[in-house]
Amino acid sequence: MFSCEDHGRHHGALESQAFLVSGLATGIAPTRFALRASVGITADPPSLVWSEGARIFRRGHCNRPLTREVSMTTTDTAASDSGSTALEQAITTSDPLVLSRIWGFGGMTAVLVGAVASFLVGIERLDLASANIFSGADGLFQFWSAHRVAFVLLGALPALMALATTVVPRQCGGLLIFPRAAAMACWIWLIGAGMTVVGFLVDGGLGTPGGGGQRQATALTIMGILLVIGGLLLASVCVVTTIVSGRRAGMGLRDLPFTAWTVLVAATVWMGMLPVLAANTVLAYVDLRGRPALRFGAEDAIWEQVSWMFTHPAIYVLALPVLGIALDVVEATARVDQANRDVLLVATAAFGFLSFGAFAQTFFDTPGTPIAEEALSVVAAFAIVPVALAIVGGLADTLRRGAANLGSKPPAETVCALLAALLVLAGTAVGAIRVVAPLELLETSVTGAHFSLVLGASILGIGAGFYHWGEEMVGPKGRRPGLFLLGGLAVAGGTILAGVADLFSGLLDQSDFTGVDLSTAGNPGSGVDGLNVVSMLGSLVLLGGLALWMLVGSLHTAANQKGAT
Amino acid sequence: MLTTGFKLWFGLFLAAVFAAVFAGYTSGATETGPISLGWKGGVGNHVSYTILVFSAGVLALFGLVAVAFRDADAEAQAEVLGLEDAPEAQIEVGNSLWPIFGALGVGSIGVGLVVHPAIFVIGLCIVAAIAVEWTMTNWSEKVSGDHAVNTAARENLMRPIEIPVLGTIGVGVLVLAVSRILLASSVTGAVWVATVVGLVIFGAAILISQRPELPRVAVRGILFAGCVAILVLGIVTAVSGEREFHHKGGDAHHDDTHVEADH
Repeated sequence: MFSCEDHGRHHGALESQAFLVSGLATGIAPTRFALRASVGITADPPSLVWSEGARIFRRGHCNRPLTREVSMTTTDTAASDSGSTALEQAITTSDPLVLSRIWGFGGMTAVLVGAVASFLVGIERLDLASANIFSGADGLFQFWSAHRVAFVLLGALPALMALATTVVPRQCGGLLIFPRAAAMACWIWLIGAGMTVVGFLVDGGLGTPGGGGQRQATALTIMGILLVIGGLLLASVCVVTTIVSGRRAGMGLRDLPFTAWTVLVAATVWMGMLPVLAANTVLAYVDLRGRPALRFGAEDAIWEQVSWMFTHPAIYVLALPVLGIALDVVEATARVDQANRDVLLVATAAFGFLSFGAFAQTFFDTPGTPIAEEALSVVAAFAIVPVALAIVGGLADTLRRGAANLGSKPPAETVCALLAALLVLAGTAVGAIRVVAPLELLETSVTGAHFSLVLGASILGIGAGFYHWGEEMVGPKGRRPGLFLLGGLAVAGGTILAGVADLFSGLLDQSDFTGVDLSTAGNPGSGVDGLNVVSMLGSLVLLGGLALWMLVGSLHTAANQKGAT
Repeated sequence: MLTTGFKLWFGLFLAAVFAAVFAGYTSGATETGPISLGWKGGVGNHVSYTILVFSAGVLALFGLVAVAFRDADAEAQAEVLGLEDAPEAQIEVGNSLWPIFGALGVGSIGVGLVVHPAIFVIGLCIVAAIAVEWTMTNWSEKVSGDHAVNTAARENLMRPIEIPVLGTIGVGVLVLAVSRILLASSVTGAVWVATVVGLVIFGAAILISQRPELPRVAVRGILFAGCVAILVLGIVTAVSGEREFHHKGGDAHHDDTHVEADH
């Protein structure tokens, strides 16, 4: 911990101010502030641009003790207010650390729920002749679409937001800008996630092929997703603003660590894509309500309008921050500076550009060439492979030069981060194979394999990030590297099993959504049953790994809470 | 000197422009269409071309903003503002009720759109109220560097509005809830309910006044639990419906005169 005394004040106005800040030296250490001195009233009128109240925490490199005062009114409560109950403190918090735990725990729980849904769908796929678990094709479709929504919008993105709201501001050397807006974003997302889950559970979801879902429940799901998008967008704004305008003095964008840089690029892309997804859901909602749907709100059309968010190229935007995490983790654990830093900054920015997928909406295909077969989409699918290869090459170079520092037992987070980067590379390769027109793989389970690999990479990288910065986010006690590594290997193994099996099933013409009978599966007599067993086992292993991670996280949190009390 | 942010956005802008032109030529555009934004010929696939050109425009705007504000560099801002030192970033703010209540308001709007217009209107009212409160909180925090002065400034302005409004809403909601409970009870039962509830409130008030050392949290807890109990009972009885009212003189008369049936 280091701190810094803030002396000089413009116009000599606030000379008595002194504020305590910890944790800026490393950019990572816990930020805990304490009141040390009251602020004198000045004769200076407040500035409209930089009001005196806002001139409390100086940006820039500090090597002196900083003290600060928490600004609040009677409707606000200090975290240390002894009159506040724990519940009051929890729901009124604007502390990024607390918010990150809500994002992180909520996101990883959703990922776990998505894995359960994926496993159940995998079991059902073993016996395509009858729907034993689900009521029929509509029920199966609801779970199948639920697992993708849970993985992406309720799981991976919020979990990334957990890292973005805590790690990124510290890497920028400052505080999270708009912390109350970030708190509101977190609560909006949580409420929206709850509505989405309830919507799926009461026979809603994002439409069904047979039109057998409940209309009102479907509307509730759509509205829940709209709130989820709103929460994620607001949080993205806070994070991007922090990176762009909250850096300490002297720190340029080129000086940002890779996690902050990739989050900047990814959050910019999210802010470009998520409003389009919101527009899709609004269109579906408006058409769904009140009278028989004309087009956009038809039960069998809703999923196709939002499905672009869960496939090439939009799915890659989940992997981008993971590449940044991997670069930072490997650089920190190998204890060598990353070479060719500028090349990697450009490569990650290019990866982000190629991830923009709002244009690839198959629902709005015009007669002729489908959007997924157009040159733009195909070129993007191929162009992203060398970009990913360049980034993984950068990682490999750092590993090579820092191999001696890693020793024979590399840290668990390094192993997971490397596996995540390799899975991203594998995912881009599968994405390129998928768009080769003569193979006709767009509607097959190769799409599912692509989703599994990229999503699995994202989860693995997020886990590595949580573990790497876990000491600062949760506390130093109760870390279990062995269990974490075991969970990470299970997540990686499960992802590979499911991804590779679905890849070969797709090459054997199995549909992405198999339906509940052999004819809709598109694989009569093709002998993909064995591959489906392998894929189901992969889902089971992934589920086991995630459960183990949840256990590790819970034990870690419990140990530090016990220590705090 | 061009800033890093400008280089990032300008690079992405160029990529978007090239992608748009490429998309145009590979989807049936004429020779000069994609490079003239469709002025001299067709652009091919309108959807992808329009999205990419629009993206390019937005990215160019980002780049111009980045270079105009020097990537929000603190020293550049100090120069613009005429300060010797770089301006300070914002302080860490205290806990606040507004974010969660704002989120609840937004959630109510969403649920209300699906379930019932009344919930939607309640959500709108919550969001409007939170918008005012949040704005005033932010304003008051910048009145001075002294949070006591800030607190006084906010209270002087908002308390005369908050207390009557919240009091009216609170009383109105409680009266409505109690009226639903009484209307759902039988004639005799309503008398008993009113008596018992009145006695409980009176007794609790005496108990609290007799023990001034009672922690504030406990008093708030008792009041919160009592209000929630009345609200829940009010909602339950409102859903279950009122007791039967028999109109005097049968169906032929539609005046307001009626007699109540005791069950």
